[in-house]
Amino acid sequence: MRRLRCFLADLAPGEGPPALAAHRESCLRCQAAGARERALGRALGALRDEVVAAPPGLQMRVLARLGRQDAFDPRRALIARAAARYAAAAGLAGATLAALLAGVLRRHSRALG
Amino acid sequence: MTAGEVQRAEEELLARARNGDREAFGDLVGRYQDTVYTLALRLVGPDLAADVAQEALLRAWRALPRFRGEAAFATWLHRITVNTAWTLRRRARRHTAEPLEGDREDGGLLPERAGELAELRAGLTRALGCLTPGQRAVVVLRDVYGWSNSEAARELGITETTAKVRLHRARRRLRVLLEGVR
Repeated sequence: MRRLRCFLADLAPGEGPPALAAHRESCLRCQAAGARERALGRALGALRDEVVAAPPGLQMRVLARLGRQDAFDPRRALIARAAARYAAAAGLAGATLAALLAGVLRRHSRALG
Repeated sequence: MTAGEVQRAEEELLARARNGDREAFGDLVGRYQDTVYTLALRLVGPDLAADVAQEALLRAWRALPRFRGEAAFATWLHRITVNTAWTLRRRARRHTAEPLEGDREDGGLLPERAGELAELRAGLTRALGCLTPGQRAVVVLRDVYGWSNSEAARELGITETTAKVRLHRARRRLRVLLEGVR
């Protein structure tokens, strides 16, 4: 049971029902895991201050390739991909619903007939 | 030069670049190329980072007339970099898990630090390179750059729940990898 609580506490760090919060407060193993998680967060956050120098010549290469400015939306490809994904999911859901409805109607008509 | 003067100079450069001044944009590239490259390196690793940085800066030039200054220029540029990294990574389909350290021959880290801290960071950078591209992107944006889950999800084109799951898995994997190193 204790292992299960540790497992659940690890699955939902900082969240979850009061029982998990109480478990975290009393469990040394979970407290140690929490401390490791915070240390990892600090170490990752510290990486933000480090800057890697760009390869030499990057600036010149960019300037040599500048085209015209057309207010192109850099997120367009991402938005189109997301829209396609949602459309496919909606299509699949619609087809499933239609198939279910058709089945129900067929069963109804058989029962009546 | 005070911080206010630097800010004003940058605003002036931005205004000129928005109007098609290539020289002004060149100055902006000079100021931001390292941070853009660093973000690209952390997102996609050394193989693609230079291509991503170059493409992101070119896209920024194209999109500059859209920039209204609602966010800081650096934030806007970071978003474009994330988007470009994602697009190029998909295109390249290079799911390598090579350590990121291989790209250090051209300058190294600034500022240089020694000892245990540097070792921990080197280990962390290597461990980041072992994550899947999706996990790496979320953990870099959330934990290194301090973005919110919703911001990271929006820019990566995934749901917030997916971002949270990836973050959790990434952190757990990082912990395992780092503990294995010690």
